[in-house]
Amino acid sequence: MKLVGIAGSIADQSYNRTLLNFIAKHFEGLVDVEVLDINDVPMFNQDNDQTNSAVIQNLSKKISTADGVIIATPEHNHTVPAALKNVIEWLSYEIHPFDGKPVMIVGASYHTQGSSRAQLHLRQILEAPGVNAVVLPGNEFLLGKVKEAFDENGDLKDQNTVNFLQTTLQNFIKFAQVINLISKTEDYEEEDLSAKEGTDTTIQGVDMNADDWLDQAAKKVHAVDGDTYVKLDSGLLTVNQLDYFLKTMPVELTYVDENNQFIYYNKTGSAEDMLAKRVPSQVGDALDKVHPKISRVIKHVKQVINTLRTGKTDLVSMPVPGGDESKSHVMHYYKAMHDEEGNYKGVNEWAVDIKPIVDQYLHETGQKLVKDPNAEIDATSGASEKPEVKVDVTSSASKH
Amino acid sequence: MNKFIAIVGSNSNKSTNRELLKYMQRHFQPQAEIELVEIAGLPIFKKSADKYVPQEAKEIAKKIESSDGVIIATPEYDHSIPAVLSSALAWLSYGIHPFVDKPVMITGASYGSLGSSRAQAQLRQILDSPELKARIMPSSEFLLGHSLQAFDDNGNLNDQDVAKELDGLFKDFLQFVNISKQLNNANVVNKQKVEKFSWDKD
Ligand SMILES: Cc1cc2nc3c(=O)[nH]c(=O)nc-3n(C[C@H](O)[C@H](O)[C@@H](O)COP(=O)(O)O)c2cc1C
Ligand SMILES: Cc1cc2nc3c(=O)[nH]c(=O)nc-3n(C[C@H](O)[C@H](O)[C@H](O)COP(=O)(O)O)c2cc1C
Repeated sequence: MKLVGIAGSIADQSYNRTLLNFIAKHFEGLVDVEVLDINDVPMFNQDNDQTNSAVIQNLSKKISTADGVIIATPEHNHTVPAALKNVIEWLSYEIHPFDGKPVMIVGASYHTQGSSRAQLHLRQILEAPGVNAVVLPGNEFLLGKVKEAFDENGDLKDQNTVNFLQTTLQNFIKFAQVINLISKTEDYEEEDLSAKEGTDTTIQGVDMNADDWLDQAAKKVHAVDGDTYVKLDSGLLTVNQLDYFLKTMPVELTYVDENNQFIYYNKTGSAEDMLAKRVPSQVGDALDKVHPKISRVIKHVKQVINTLRTGKTDLVSMPVPGGDESKSHVMHYYKAMHDEEGNYKGVNEWAVDIKPIVDQYLHETGQKLVKDPNAEIDATSGASEKPEVKVDVTSSASKH
Repeated sequence: MNKFIAIVGSNSNKSTNRELLKYMQRHFQPQAEIELVEIAGLPIFKKSADKYVPQEAKEIAKKIESSDGVIIATPEYDHSIPAVLSSALAWLSYGIHPFVDKPVMITGASYGSLGSSRAQAQLRQILDSPELKARIMPSSEFLLGHSLQAFDDNGNLNDQDVAKELDGLFKDFLQFVNISKQLNNANVVNKQKVEKFSWDKD
C-alpha cells in the first residue's frame, strides 16, 4: 500500500515531520510512505488562483495516486497551523484530490494534551464538502511531551508508543483498503487504457508504444538475460530456462500490469499459429493501442479490468466468438494478480482451446456429448455484444 | 467614544466580509469609531529560532492594544476560518499578546445558507487559547448567509430583520465592552502570566 505523509508544519525543525519520517522508516515493511513537503505553497487567495502552479499540482498528483494520506498536525492556538490549512484550501478549491481519500490523523505537541484540539478541528475540515476526505474514525494518536519522545536517530523511545502506533497504522491499512474498494466500484470509465498515469514499475523515458520498446526498456533498466539466474518465489531459474518454460505452457499468456500496459506474452509460435494473435512489436503497448478503437470494445475492456482491479471478482472468463465449434472452443480467462498486501498488480490473461481437452476426456472415459434440448444459448455469447461483465460469485475476491 | 478595530478575515478583493464590516463602520458611526484592518499582506505563520514577527503584525498588534475592542468578520473555508486569518492570529500571539482580555465580537459572512457558523465556532475556541485569551462576547452569533445577495447597491443590508439583529448585537457589544472595562482587576496579572507562558517551555 502506498501512502503519502503531510507534516502540518513549515518550521525548519518540526517534531511532526520527525514523527512522519519515523513512521516511513520504521514501518517500511508494512507500508510505503512518502513524506511530502508543504514549505513553498503560496498563501491561498481566491483572486490569485495558483492551482496550476507546480507545487500545488505536484501535491495534488501525489495525493490522488496514493492509497491514503497520513497527516501529522501540530497545534497552534487550539487549531491546526495556518500552513496546513492553507494547503487544504488550495486542494479544495478548483481541484479535489482528497475526495474519497482515506486519511489518518496523528499529531505531536510539547504538552500532555498532544494536539487533541487541533486533531478535532482537522477532522471537521477534512469532512467539509470541498475536501470530502474519509477520516479514520477513533484511533486517535496523540504524541505529547514530544521533546522527550525521540532518540538522536529520530526513533521513538517508548516501545508501547511504537506498538500503539503500529496498531493504529494497521487499522488504517484495513480501513483504506475497504474505502478504496467501495469508492472505486462503479467507475470503470476512469480506467485509463492509454496507461499514461504510470506505476512504480513503469519504465520511464521510453515510448511505450514504440515497436522496439522491449529492447529500449530492457537497456534502460539493465535487464538481465541469458544464463543469469533469477530467484523466484519457489525456484531458481536462468532467464533462458524461464523462457523455455513459459513458451511451452499449454496456454497463451499475456501480462498486463496495473497501469494497463501490455508488458509480456509467452511467444508460443508466430502470430498466425496463435489463438490470440500477438506480435513482438506490440509488447510494451498501452491497452488502447492493442485494441480496436470501437467504443463497445473499449468499454468492455475497461469493465473487465475495473472488475478485477476493484476486486468484484478475481476471474473473468469468456469464449472467443466466431470459431468453428466443431474444430475448437477457445476460451479467454482474465485473472487479477495481487502482491502480498493484496494490492492489484494487473491481469494475467490466458487463452486456451478447451476442445482437445474435452475430446480427450470423452475418449478416455468412453462418453460423448449430446445437445441439451432445453439449453438457452446466447447467440452472442462471445460477450463482445454484451458489455456487462458477469461476475463469477464463487471466485469473488472475498479473500482481500 | 469607543474605538474598535475590525479585522477583515478574508484576502479576497471583493470580500463580503469586508462589505459587512464597512456597513457596520458606516451604520454605527454615531456609536463607535471603527477602523478596518486588512491581514492580506501578512506571510504565512512560521516558527523560527529567533521568534521573528513581521513589522506589519506588530503594527496591527499596536492598534489592537490601544483599541477598546475588536470585531472579526470571518468567511468559512472548509468548515473553518481561512488560513490567512488563522495565520494572522498566530502572528498576533507569537511573543506579542494584544488580545489578552480584549473584548471581541465575532461576525461572519459566507455564500452558503449557514453563514460561517462552523468557522465561528472554531474561531471561539481559537480566541480562547492561552496566548490569545480574548474576551469573546458570550452567547451571541451573527451569521450572514448568502452573503453575495445580502447587500444592496449602497452597501446596506437588504433584509431588515437581519439589520435589526445586528443593531441589537452591537448594542450588547457596547455594553459588554463597558462591563469589561470594570473587570480589569486581574488584567495585569493575566498579561504577566501570558508573557511568561510559552509553548516551548517544558
Ligand atoms: C503560535 C503558537 C501557538 C501554539 N499553540 C499551541 C496550542 O494551542 N496547543 C499546544 O499544545 N501547543 C501549542 N503550541 C506549541 C506547538 O504544539 C508546538 O510548537 C508544535 O508546533 C510542535 O510541532 P512541530 O515541532 O511539528 O512544529 C503553539 C505554538 C505556537 C508557535
Ligand atoms: C476553499 C474554499 C472553501 C470554502 N468552504 C466553504 C464552507 O465550508 N462553507 C461555506 O459556507 N462556504 C465555503 N466557501 C465559500 C465561502 O462562503 C466564501 O468564499 C466566503 O466565505 C465569502 O467570504 P468573502 O466574501 O469575505 O471572501 C468556501 C470557499 C473557498 C474558496
